[in-house]
Amino acid sequence: MKIISNNSKTDKEDMRKIWEKIGDYFRANSIWMKWYCTGCGAIELPPTMTSRFDMERLGMGPMATPRQADVLLITGYLSSKTLRRIIYSYEQMQDPKYVVGFGSCTINGGIYYDSYATMKQLDNYLPVDLYIAGCMPRPEAVMNGFDTLISMIKKGEANGWKHYKENYDWYSRNQLHSLGEVYVKDEFHE
Amino acid sequence: MNIMNFIYAFLLLVFVFLFQTSITGINRKVMARLQRRRGPKWYQQFIDIFKAMSKSSTTHGWIFDFGVIMALGGIMATTILIPIGPFKAFADVDNIFIVSYLLAVGMLGMAMSASGSGNPWASIGVSRALTNMLAYDVPFMVLIVSFIYAFKTSSLSGFAALQQGAGILGWNFFRFPLGGIVALICLQGMLGKKPFDSFIAPAEIASGPMVEYGGRHLGMLFLLHEFSTFIEVSIIVHIFFGGGATPLEFMVKYALLYTFMNIISGVFPRFKIDQAVKFYYKVPLALAFIQGLIIIFTGLGVS
Amino acid sequence: MNSMNSIYENLKSKFNILGVDYPDDMQMAIDLDEKDIHTVIVYLKSIGYTQLSMLTCVDWIKEGVFQLVYIVFNWDNGIHILVRTKLDRENPKFRTIVEIYPGAQFYERDVHEFFGVEFEGNEISYKNLFLELWDDMPPMRKDFDPQKYSDEKYAAREYKSKFISEVGGEK
Repeated sequence: MKIISNNSKTDKEDMRKIWEKIGDYFRANSIWMKWYCTGCGAIELPPTMTSRFDMERLGMGPMATPRQADVLLITGYLSSKTLRRIIYSYEQMQDPKYVVGFGSCTINGGIYYDSYATMKQLDNYLPVDLYIAGCMPRPEAVMNGFDTLISMIKKGEANGWKHYKENYDWYSRNQLHSLGEVYVKDEFHE
Repeated sequence: MNIMNFIYAFLLLVFVFLFQTSITGINRKVMARLQRRRGPKWYQQFIDIFKAMSKSSTTHGWIFDFGVIMALGGIMATTILIPIGPFKAFADVDNIFIVSYLLAVGMLGMAMSASGSGNPWASIGVSRALTNMLAYDVPFMVLIVSFIYAFKTSSLSGFAALQQGAGILGWNFFRFPLGGIVALICLQGMLGKKPFDSFIAPAEIASGPMVEYGGRHLGMLFLLHEFSTFIEVSIIVHIFFGGGATPLEFMVKYALLYTFMNIISGVFPRFKIDQAVKFYYKVPLALAFIQGLIIIFTGLGVS
Repeated sequence: MNSMNSIYENLKSKFNILGVDYPDDMQMAIDLDEKDIHTVIVYLKSIGYTQLSMLTCVDWIKEGVFQLVYIVFNWDNGIHILVRTKLDRENPKFRTIVEIYPGAQFYERDVHEFFGVEFEGNEISYKNLFLELWDDMPPMRKDFDPQKYSDEKYAAREYKSKFISEVGGEK
């Protein structure tokens, strides 16, 4: 966790060019999600999307493919098998892209802390911009989290994708250590 | 044809973009209210398009890039032929045949580009889109040809002019109710709205032709979609709803028709592609033939 | 219960049944020697137990055996029969039942993957079904330590303060 003082934050904001600020305004107000249902958390998204909480009023919506999406939601526990597909999906997404980790499983493994197939810390493998705590987070918490994400994008603080590019070696080493190999080898890829 | 025509054409494109994108945004709001949601801002569609344009994008080869540009170019070239009420950028080229041929350039460019991405979902989507096109085009063309026979004109503004002056009951939609119904069903297919949206079905084939598009490419596709929607709805407004004596009248009719189609779309599930083709070749085609026979042999409604 | 008894009497008159158990009203478990399994399963299929609901394995580490459990189901009377047998834990091998129930293919792959039981006659039973690139002993065996494996492979988050010991949860 990097702690940035208020002064350096304003400096950072000034460093953004005017068109980056405009771009960040558009990106903050139109967030398309790649809604990859890794775990149980996906079930909290339909109520967030439909009449009661209606995330479309924030300009958010689900998209069908990673190419079209801006934000990757890791909804719940992340098994080693899923992580390979997640890395595929993440690297297919177009810059700027954001990752949101849902629930305690992505933060520290949650109740699967001793499982032989579940990752314990998502930010070792992908640059996470925002965690939403809870097991699972209720739609209120999800909306609150998205609100935070929007303000982070507006301020230009959601720079995980840049961090991933700059520190690709570190991420790649972690991925290889835990997975052995990132390439998917199942019956459909023989 | 002089330099002013081209300036008009450019202004027309800008106007169509602003107008149709706003209408789409408002329709998203309408759809949200239909589902008892609050809905996005009315300018959300602009934000979406500009955001897509502001992102990076990847390419899958020359065909992929060129197809998008060809599609967008073809559709824009078609758009400048469409009259808005009495206003026309180019005189005497708003012929229905030119419009439908140029529209096909856009569709085929899109198909070429999507196939160039190499993704199997895209190929499935493209084949469904072209099948769908074949399905709605046959009844629609039967109808249009009988109209051309009846009115001895094939220009959009010509059709519109013939209907003006007799009030609402002078519209072709009321003079030829069977044909009007066929036209609306075909319009639903042209717009790719439910129940005829099996080629973009996001949950089955991951949005079909658009599956590999991201960033700027996707932004161009959104633009393309806005322009082609404008063309398709305008054709129906001109031929069946009397066009517009003033641009404002045209815009009001256009907005109401598009919203109506969208509301219909909001309450339908979707057909499978084979069901859609069967449906088009049964009901609308039969109705179109009956309407054509009525026009040719009895002249009922032509006056 | 009467029908269950008659089924048991019927089976007992034909096969050498080592033990019987009734886990539930509509379930009967019979223990068999491993050489009788195939005959019993063929017989059960012929009298209406057409569905193989499950094939799984239990690791009895203190006895040094693996117990294979075949669960077959009859749609006419709604009875499950659990056919059980024990294998040596050191070199677990058994013959496949794919010819009897083709759906057993995936269960045998599953059991092979998680317990390391080999099924002779099923040529693709060695193929991975769930785990990808697995590099340790089969994970459902009792002597496999998931915590140790997890700690080695998946880095845990480090906290500055130990919340659990603060609230007195940890010994």
